[in-house]
Amino acid sequence: MLPLTGGLYLGWALGANDAANVFGTAVASRIITFRKAGILCSVSIILGAMLQGTAGIHTLSGLTEQTARTLIIVSVSAAFTVTLMTMKSLPISTSQAIVGAIAGLGLATDNMHWAGLIKVIACWIATPIGAMFFSCIIYKLLSVLIKYIPMSILTRDKILWGGLLVVGTYGSYALGANNVANATGIFSGQFAGVSDGQLALFGGIAIAIGVLTYSKRIMMTVGSGIMPLDAFTAFTAVASMAVTVHIFAVIGVPVSTSQAIVGSIIGIGLIRGTHAIKFGVLRNIMIGWLLTPVISLILAAAGYAIL
Amino acid sequence: MFFANKQKKIETQIAQYNEQISTCLDKFRQAIGQYCKNPDRDAIKSRFDDVHKSESLADDIRRDIEVMMYSKSLFPESRGDILGLLEAMDKVPNQTEAVVHMIWNQRISIPKELSSEVLGLVEVCCRCVEALLEAAGKLFTNFTNATVAVGKIDELESEADRVEAAIIEKIFSGQMDSIDKILLRDMVKSISAISDRAENAGDRIRITVAKRSV
Repeated sequence: MLPLTGGLYLGWALGANDAANVFGTAVASRIITFRKAGILCSVSIILGAMLQGTAGIHTLSGLTEQTARTLIIVSVSAAFTVTLMTMKSLPISTSQAIVGAIAGLGLATDNMHWAGLIKVIACWIATPIGAMFFSCIIYKLLSVLIKYIPMSILTRDKILWGGLLVVGTYGSYALGANNVANATGIFSGQFAGVSDGQLALFGGIAIAIGVLTYSKRIMMTVGSGIMPLDAFTAFTAVASMAVTVHIFAVIGVPVSTSQAIVGSIIGIGLIRGTHAIKFGVLRNIMIGWLLTPVISLILAAAGYAIL
Repeated sequence: MFFANKQKKIETQIAQYNEQISTCLDKFRQAIGQYCKNPDRDAIKSRFDDVHKSESLADDIRRDIEVMMYSKSLFPESRGDILGLLEAMDKVPNQTEAVVHMIWNQRISIPKELSSEVLGLVEVCCRCVEALLEAAGKLFTNFTNATVAVGKIDELESEADRVEAAIIEKIFSGQMDSIDKILLRDMVKSISAISDRAENAGDRIRITVAKRSV
């Protein structure tokens, strides 16, 4: 059971980094306090992990064969990469970190299931594009509603406040359902008497702890770093991210909520005018996305060679 | 439900505030109208006091709203916008009070040949403030339409500027004492400033709507 501590660490790092994608916009625009967002997010993540998290666990466990030693190498390499990027306040992809580490190990041991890896990488590319597409659609639909339904500015606030809570909860559920595989997927079938459902619960709790203890800084980067967001754009961004990630949870491929939320925000930026987008921040995020799988791949391969 | 009650309270208070500004405006209109007809200080005292009382009542309502806004959990952005608007709107009744104080304290008398023009200016300024009240009301019923009323404010403010310039020209082309001319010019500028205050508040409304435009 010792290798599971690596999964706990990875789950914690995932929660610390990825909760920002769900509630970062609402917290940064001071619509919801960090405390409320953290509690709501944690509970929903655990529920998502337990109810719909096992599909992704099956996918990740099929990428390569694992032993107790390689399990620790993969999970610690990925977790270390995510922690490094979190300390740099970059909203990176935990999915990329874990898959990068698995690929590093697969290359080192010459035991890689390439078809599964290609499917996962294809989904990574589709994630920000899909989120961008959904954010454009949701933005347009909501803007028509707001334009043509007479309402007070306070009613608008009330609707958006409730909407942000709902999509934030849904997004957290989708995060738990999709990303729990990143924390504990590689342990599937490794321990007698431990089911995928129990692994999902274990991973969900680890992610929730990461949310509650270390996610605030990234929330501020995601919430206000790329472009200034108000309640309306925050709602649109989180709703499109949640839909995108939930679709991939159902397909059974762990994707990045970071890439989804950034794709959503870029989609909104394209509609509102690219002048609002802070391209410097966006460039750093992109660099983080490219470096993440590479760093975890190198760490895992090096870890295997050393240990 | 909790949120709905809070919203209702804020909207009711703001409607009361708008009504109080409207009352203050009516008192101001009546006071200046009365003064132009009969510039007797004793006769006009109570009219001028009415303007002062209305302005004070508007201040009281505004303070109540401000306290309530901080105790109710609105979006910070909306709280800032509404408080900024109230602050800008508050300058309108303040200005009506400043005009009557000026007339009273400086014992300004309005010559018969200028009274219709001055009353015309008062009327334009009052219509400008009414457009402001309409725009402010729209924010709490149909905010996307508030800018239509803001457009009216701008038009009336420009008209007030034109009337002001014409009156000042007439003042200085007359045969009065120079000191009387200067006092009258200041009074006319002070009346016209009511529409400037309304325009500033209208700009706040325009920004509030623009921030929420999609």
